[in-house]
Amino acid sequence: MERRRGTRKGKRLAPYLLGAPAAIWLGVFFLVPLVTMMSLSLQRCDSVTLACRMIWHFGEFPEQVSQFRPFFMRSLYYAGSATVIDLLVSFPIAYWIAFRAKRKNFFLLMLLLPFFVSFVIRTISWQFLLSDQGILLGTLKNLHLLPENFHVLATGTAVIAGIAYNFLPFTALPLYVSLERIDPHVLEAAHDLYASRRAAFAKVTIPLAVPGIFAAFLLTFVPGAGDYLNAQILGGTSNGMIGNVIQNKFLVFFDYPAASALSAILMGVMLIGIAAYAKVLGSRTIEEYI
Amino acid sequence: MPEVDVRLERVTKEFGDTVAVDDLSVDITEGEFFSMLGPSGCGKTTTLRMIGGFEDPTYGTVYLGGRDVTDDPPYRRDVNTVFQSYALFPHLNVFDNVAFGLRRKKVGKEEIQRRVQEVMHLVDLRGFGERKPGQMSGGQQQRVALARALVNSPKVLLLDEPLGALDLKLRKQMQLELKRIQQEVGITFIYVTHDQEEAMTMSDRLAVMRRGRIEQLGEPEEVYDNPATEFVAGFLGASNLLDGEIGSHQDGITTIKLSTGSTVLVPSDRMPPDVETQVKVGVRPEKITIRNDSEDLPAGYNSVSGLLRVATYIGVSHQYKIDGPGGTELTVYVQNLGAVTPPAPGEKVSLAWRPEHTFVVKPSASLSEEEEEE
Amino acid sequence: MTDRNFDPALWRGLTEPRYSRRQFMRAAGIGAGGLSLAAILAACGTKGISAVNPTASQSGGVGSTDWWSKQTQHNTLNFANWPYYIDTSHGKHPTLDAFEKATGIHVNYTEPINDNVSFFAKIRPQLQAGNDTGYDIVVLTNSDPPLGQMITFGWAIPLDQSKMVNFYQYASDLVKNPSWDPGNKYTMAWQSGYTCIGYNTKYIKEDITSIQSLFDPKYKGKIGMFGIASELGSFGLLANGVDPATSTPDDWKAAAAKLQSQKPLVRQYYDQDYIKALKNEDIWISMAWSGDIFQASAYQGYDTLKAVIPDEGAMFWTDNMVMPLNAQNPLDAMTYMDSVYDPHTQALIEDYNAYVCPVPAAREIILKQLKDPTIANSPTVFPDAAMVARSKSYYQWKTSQELDEWNNTFVPIFQG
Repeated sequence: MERRRGTRKGKRLAPYLLGAPAAIWLGVFFLVPLVTMMSLSLQRCDSVTLACRMIWHFGEFPEQVSQFRPFFMRSLYYAGSATVIDLLVSFPIAYWIAFRAKRKNFFLLMLLLPFFVSFVIRTISWQFLLSDQGILLGTLKNLHLLPENFHVLATGTAVIAGIAYNFLPFTALPLYVSLERIDPHVLEAAHDLYASRRAAFAKVTIPLAVPGIFAAFLLTFVPGAGDYLNAQILGGTSNGMIGNVIQNKFLVFFDYPAASALSAILMGVMLIGIAAYAKVLGSRTIEEYI
Repeated sequence: MPEVDVRLERVTKEFGDTVAVDDLSVDITEGEFFSMLGPSGCGKTTTLRMIGGFEDPTYGTVYLGGRDVTDDPPYRRDVNTVFQSYALFPHLNVFDNVAFGLRRKKVGKEEIQRRVQEVMHLVDLRGFGERKPGQMSGGQQQRVALARALVNSPKVLLLDEPLGALDLKLRKQMQLELKRIQQEVGITFIYVTHDQEEAMTMSDRLAVMRRGRIEQLGEPEEVYDNPATEFVAGFLGASNLLDGEIGSHQDGITTIKLSTGSTVLVPSDRMPPDVETQVKVGVRPEKITIRNDSEDLPAGYNSVSGLLRVATYIGVSHQYKIDGPGGTELTVYVQNLGAVTPPAPGEKVSLAWRPEHTFVVKPSASLSEEEEEE
Repeated sequence: MTDRNFDPALWRGLTEPRYSRRQFMRAAGIGAGGLSLAAILAACGTKGISAVNPTASQSGGVGSTDWWSKQTQHNTLNFANWPYYIDTSHGKHPTLDAFEKATGIHVNYTEPINDNVSFFAKIRPQLQAGNDTGYDIVVLTNSDPPLGQMITFGWAIPLDQSKMVNFYQYASDLVKNPSWDPGNKYTMAWQSGYTCIGYNTKYIKEDITSIQSLFDPKYKGKIGMFGIASELGSFGLLANGVDPATSTPDDWKAAAAKLQSQKPLVRQYYDQDYIKALKNEDIWISMAWSGDIFQASAYQGYDTLKAVIPDEGAMFWTDNMVMPLNAQNPLDAMTYMDSVYDPHTQALIEDYNAYVCPVPAAREIILKQLKDPTIANSPTVFPDAAMVARSKSYYQWKTSQELDEWNNTFVPIFQG
């Protein structure tokens, strides 16, 4: 009798025990920094002595928003464009791998291969590739296919392209997973029920890929909007993103309150945007499939 | 003469080196419940998919209602399919699943409403319209799949082992249900299954398939009672087969000498036409009467003797396993009439049956392992 | 004797003693988040420092004559320097071996510094808590805040002037009594370098002599500037004819206006990566660190790259040896710091790293004994009088308000 009770108790505790490491991890490495960051945004710090004092200075938020609005808008624009490009580019790829490819693992590996190289190195290779007199533009210029003063680097296009490139696997993989889960018979059923290829795609494939599209969007847009590396390496003097501002404020100028406020604002914008987006897509649908 | 609804003309389907369907021709008439029966890999599903348009024949022509549809995609064929896995749209509720085909055909809103309600009634799913497929049982999902196909009033309904995933009791129930629905709507059903009982229960005609070809085609009784090949005999229920050699023909009776020396009589009109000297003689287990060796045989009966090995009592009947002539194992079912004392294992028994219950088949090459498993 | 057969990779390292802190953070990549977190937490846990460590200024306190007279030699020394900055031969440092032979002091030489700010962030908690940092000598650059902060907060041990014999005899005027440390109270230079102009003669046919070329519309889109507040601001001041060391906030505003007007011409505000843009020919003319251009053209095949010290002057920066508070072996450190001003020792170090030599007398030795005229005759190693006249010092921020003002003036230029 005793033993049985013991087992039951163990069973009751098991989920909590299993969840504990993750909870502690999140608590220590996510929640504490988050709270610290939020609190810092209300403090005033000396940039030399780094002494901070809580003054409940909520003014930091409107100040930062008004000062850096173009950066926020640019970040959303760049990340949004990159996400759209990634979705358009990776959907056919993921679709093809999921439904047509024979050696799925091989192609998935190909898709992931860039990930084996550091983010920084990849971006720098792009810088090299897109260089004004580099192998691409230099050659085209030598062939007089491009005007001599044409350049890709130091433009918003380069930054968007860089983000799109760097985050492509983040888009393609969730799409692949959701497409791969679609029972091919369901598409046959659609054809059987008089749906042309286009109709089946619109009425069945796309709706069933919605969870994947949502995940792909999250995984691409969110880090994309917070990215600073692409803007720094591929952008020009007027392509700075909010990530660059935050990075500079934190690490170069030790303006912790401003940096914290900017980070919090970025996070808030993201969360609100995502909540709205989920609402539009229908969160119930997402819950059901994720 | 009913009209031919589906005609396959010398249809062959190859997947790489494998021939899934081999030069198959068949006519299926309007309003018929037609089954294709066979072990897995026999080509029955491929044949069905070619009718549905999901596979293109390598050679041959598919006609639907007299029209060549060989090159038409599924969505231009007036057939609908009930898939083995149901293939319901998981993102749509039951109503939208059922209405899918009608919407694609741009049927008016009110008519959709009416027809969906009607068919939901037909398959006994009233009130389930708002449910998602994921919230339903297998049997219910099956009905949705059926309704989704039927609602379009297709010329032909294709069913690919639709009951395969259901448990036995539900399957039996659905078999009757399907038959009822088919009779009610009067649509041609082409039904693929590997379950001979299922095929025989429902079909007007059935085709037993093996290795991409039809081994025998006919009404269930005909195919059961007079199988054309050793394979058909073995696939459609238990059968007892003995090696024999054709002897004399006299007065419409053919005498066949068994390897043990005794003879079996068969009405000559039950002899297959293209048979050679070496044959197999068969009889269904339920056609045999079993009696103690000492007792007299009824006149004109065929008989063999053997040693009773196993006797199983299963309520409605007794089942016996007997070591027959030449070591062949024979099976006998005896209806439980309760009148006589059943024989006991170890006893010598003689088995008797009427000549008109005897069938003769060509010995075929041994069954492949895969087919044995079925 | 000379060890000049090292590979270009080493040279590259050697031309980059001044990784900007941004550069460092970028190298550390996304992982830098951990570091910044540590910094934030550290920031929250401290009260900050408002005044110079009182003990340092009191008589008998740390660094006073009394204090120095009580120090004894421990025959050990912990020295933190930047990579590829000291003579190296087959994994050994000949000048350090010679030093141990002569004095009995063993030097634990380490190269943990890639960036002033992040290195300072690591030792700062110990300094603030009044503990030993584990180093007796660290090397910090005058153009970045940490050096000034160490001095201001009283975290540097005042040097024993009586033991700076070689220094006062041999040190170049460029490093004696510098603006960032009047009277060499806390520091002695390790090496110096220039922030000047680099350009590609393949595209720019005229002789560049003036900073104004960086503002020339005909190079629109091909101009590189530094996205580092101290460097960018200083160049803006030089372009306006103002000496950065003695500039005022009004000068800063004028310089910022000038730089702002230049912005449409600028391709990008770079860190260390400017050199790659120059090599890739994405930019034709740029602010540059002299060593980078020197190495690229002399040793890496980019022979059309050229470095010039413009007529308006170039920013002259110095990496300084400084003794952190509570260093365990101050006397050993003092002895060593003075010993590198011995011309023979300095000649060996200089011939390795090719920076601006703090000891002019080393030149003869490099020329005659080490027989390396390339180094000996390079004006960026041994600046001539004209060069010295054009060497400008950075503005020294006296308060955090000043630093904030400087940053607020110049940061929006490259961040907008």
